[in-house]
Amino acid sequence: MTKLILNRRRFLSTAAVTGAALASPAYLRRSYAAGGEVNIWTYNDFVPTAFKEQFESETGIKVNVRLVDDQGKQFNLLAAEAPNPTVDIMTVAGHRFLQFIDNKLLAPLDTDRLSNWGNINPTFSESDWSTINGNKWGAPILSGMEVLAYNTDLVDAEEAKSWDVLFSEKYKQKTAYIIQDMMSIIMLKLGYDGNMVAYMDDPEKAAAIVEEAKQFLIEKKPYVRKYYDGGAEIQQMFVNQDIALGHSWNGPAAALINDGFPLAMTIPREGSYGFVYTYNIANNAPNADNAYTFLDAILASPEIGASMTKASGFISTYKGATEYLSDLEKKSTSFTDEELSNLQFFRAEANEMKYGLLDPAVEAIKAA
Amino acid sequence: MRNDATASANRVAVARGKADRTFWGRLASWTPYRSLVRLATASPRRQFLILAAFPLLWVLTQHLGPMLQMLRVSLTDAYPVAVGVEQHFTLDNYTRFFGERIFWQPFFRTLTFAGVLTFCTLILTYPVAYFLARHVSRKNQMLMLLLLLIPFWVGEIVRTYAIMILLGNTGAVNQALKWLGWIDEPIPFMYTSFSMGIGIVYLTALYMLLPLYSALEKLPKSYHEAAADLGAGAWTRFRRVTLPLTLEGISSGCTLVFLISTGFYATPVLLGGPSTTVFSETIAGFFHTAGDEWPTGAAFATIMFLTAMVLTGVFQKLMQSLRKGDTK
Amino acid sequence: MNRGNRILIGCTYWAFVLYVFVPLLLMILMGFKDSKFIGFPIRSWTLDWYTGVFSDGEVLSTLGYSLVIAVLSTLISVAVGTWIAVLLEGRKFLGRTAIFGLTILPALIPGIISAIAFRIYARWLGVEPGMGAIIWSHAVHNVPFVALVVMARLSTLPKSQIEAARDLGADPIIAFLRITLPYLVPAILGASIFCLLLSFDDFVRSFFLGGYEPTLPVLIFAKLRSGMSPEINAIATVALVLTAGLGIWAERFTRRMKKETNT
Repeated sequence: MTKLILNRRRFLSTAAVTGAALASPAYLRRSYAAGGEVNIWTYNDFVPTAFKEQFESETGIKVNVRLVDDQGKQFNLLAAEAPNPTVDIMTVAGHRFLQFIDNKLLAPLDTDRLSNWGNINPTFSESDWSTINGNKWGAPILSGMEVLAYNTDLVDAEEAKSWDVLFSEKYKQKTAYIIQDMMSIIMLKLGYDGNMVAYMDDPEKAAAIVEEAKQFLIEKKPYVRKYYDGGAEIQQMFVNQDIALGHSWNGPAAALINDGFPLAMTIPREGSYGFVYTYNIANNAPNADNAYTFLDAILASPEIGASMTKASGFISTYKGATEYLSDLEKKSTSFTDEELSNLQFFRAEANEMKYGLLDPAVEAIKAA
Repeated sequence: MRNDATASANRVAVARGKADRTFWGRLASWTPYRSLVRLATASPRRQFLILAAFPLLWVLTQHLGPMLQMLRVSLTDAYPVAVGVEQHFTLDNYTRFFGERIFWQPFFRTLTFAGVLTFCTLILTYPVAYFLARHVSRKNQMLMLLLLLIPFWVGEIVRTYAIMILLGNTGAVNQALKWLGWIDEPIPFMYTSFSMGIGIVYLTALYMLLPLYSALEKLPKSYHEAAADLGAGAWTRFRRVTLPLTLEGISSGCTLVFLISTGFYATPVLLGGPSTTVFSETIAGFFHTAGDEWPTGAAFATIMFLTAMVLTGVFQKLMQSLRKGDTK
Repeated sequence: MNRGNRILIGCTYWAFVLYVFVPLLLMILMGFKDSKFIGFPIRSWTLDWYTGVFSDGEVLSTLGYSLVIAVLSTLISVAVGTWIAVLLEGRKFLGRTAIFGLTILPALIPGIISAIAFRIYARWLGVEPGMGAIIWSHAVHNVPFVALVVMARLSTLPKSQIEAARDLGADPIIAFLRITLPYLVPAILGASIFCLLLSFDDFVRSFFLGGYEPTLPVLIFAKLRSGMSPEINAIATVALVLTAGLGIWAERFTRRMKKETNT
């Protein structure tokens, strides 16, 4: 449970100046903001409180956190503010970079300005998805993946080695998944490239593959209990025993495991996809210098990475962060080498084509 | 009511003006104020214009403004406009709805659900409102109405999760049924039209309850007694006296609930199942996941909105003719 | 009406009370669960979530922020809604139906659409997101409810009273303030409860029009992302109890004020 202590004076002064702010021109507010602030949009618990307080007292830069609860809303908000955003740093899932970059919402990250860049595990900082158009676009902080989570009281570990168990007669109406994510997994399971990068020159083939995956999920619709959207939903379904197993992100599943719930997760043998949350600097950020100061500070110690993992259940991208975790936390955030060898990362290059095909398919599955 | 009248009569006596030493008296005799009033009320026409100016300005800028803005977005091919991209006028967003069948199902499902749920809400809340308005002493009425309002102070999301705890496989209802020995295996209530209905009626009941209550409360008791004197049975009295006289309350409650339930988002998404997708979910999809499809979302929203308006218009006309037919 | 029917109808009321209160009681109960997730079975109990709410300044200041927004937006809605009601009720003029239609429009637009429409509109007007913008959008959204309720009450105002006051030399403004307005008080109070409720529970408008200060629903949504924990239930319960207490206090206070001014 992270606590963001709100500055009481700021709260009161906000109340007092609101009337004036409504009328005052934008540039006035901007110049006030440049005095020593950094504005961040992120998920609850992604900026550890202890770190925030220490950072504020050491640098004198005030950290304003705006809590967001989903990527789409964040994109909408930023798009509505462009080209003069109020935000300096936001939290983007790596495979969604392209959408932000295409709309000119992100500034390329100058890693030379970050002396602590080297503290990030190169698996994340130097991997292929993180470089787009020859630039780095964000600092990786947490990593997630699509996993198969199952109630160990009800499901045998052997059964959970394949995604097929989600569509088995035995667990009919006891499963749940996010359709969008499941589509990529099904494409992978059917032997195709779920990122669709391989079909960028062959849109017809791409359309045929999406159609095949779509037909598969429509055919298997009687087996699913719920198409869900967020981590809290699947956690509740497990707790209420409405489902025995389901596709999940590792973060929400890890949180259940850490709480003592009889749950396990695995990367099935057909493979799965991973994604990385990154801190990104907005194009035209009002306090870009402070943003770099903040990023460098948050990358400084593996302990900060560990506390993010404790709060979110996602895996830290920092070198050596695991040393600061408890045994249960280590267990809920680690996978065998065999499992990890099945994992690949989501990529953004083909996203326009991919989601152009996927979104209508998702509608069709829901409507079927 | 009677108290109000005497109090007002007292105030009338005080509202005399000049001779008065009260605040109002002094205000009424203050010269700048009087000349201002005289200026404003010089003619009925001017008085009306002054009264009408602000509301007119408000509804045009505040109520119509955002709607027109949305309409404008729905007729473009890109919004928000990225730097260096040109925006064009287009009707494609509207033709897309009529061209792609997959959107029709959630659309009609939403209208059907809203209709059915409106009816259920009416059936459920009518006896409650009836009881409050007719069988409870006036002093307790407010208290018991307020009692029903308490749960509404808890946000939609928290209440929705509470319903999951109620209806889940290990939820309160299933635990109770097991404890009673009525069932061995839990009944899967959740993620069905049933759980969704329970959740939505929870939200709409208030909007139905208040209009019904005020309609029933206005109904003079003497009507009932007269009908009873004429030998009408309970059911006949209800059908011939109470029901026709509360049609107005029913009509406004139903209209409100129908329109509101076509727009629900979070509750159906959280409580519904794989085959209960509602149209607002489809619309939200354009705004949420597919970031660059605001115009389509706006167009779909406009279609839903207009359809709901037309349907409630027809419904109100029907109710009106029903009312007229009854009084004949 | 015979006894059996009366009892039957009484039962439906209490059944309805049960229906709305059982989920509420479950919610309160879960706030005491010693786990990070809500649901049965409950193996051990704790008060930590509640002490957490009170020691965490953020929750309380967020609650205060939400309440300030609710009260201010309600004041605006009530003023505007009453004005519109006075214009529309009992008057016939060209365009009355149009103005009436426009008045109820905001109540009929789905939340997410109205929120985004407002965001687009605010941007076009150059209004910065933040407390003012939230209050503005809430106020506009709630005006129709006030107008409808006040119009209903206004239609029962005996015209003779106003005429009497006018005969005695009161000008229209004083007649309105001293006769019409007091008569409308019950309707205005009822409408205010509605507005306060709607504003207090609003997520979408607050999210799209808000700044770095979260309102209570925005905070709850953000926390929900890391799981539906008893903490959220504790927050909701505390908010419920505090606002109820505040409401009772306000009611007592106004009643005492009334007594004092009357004597």
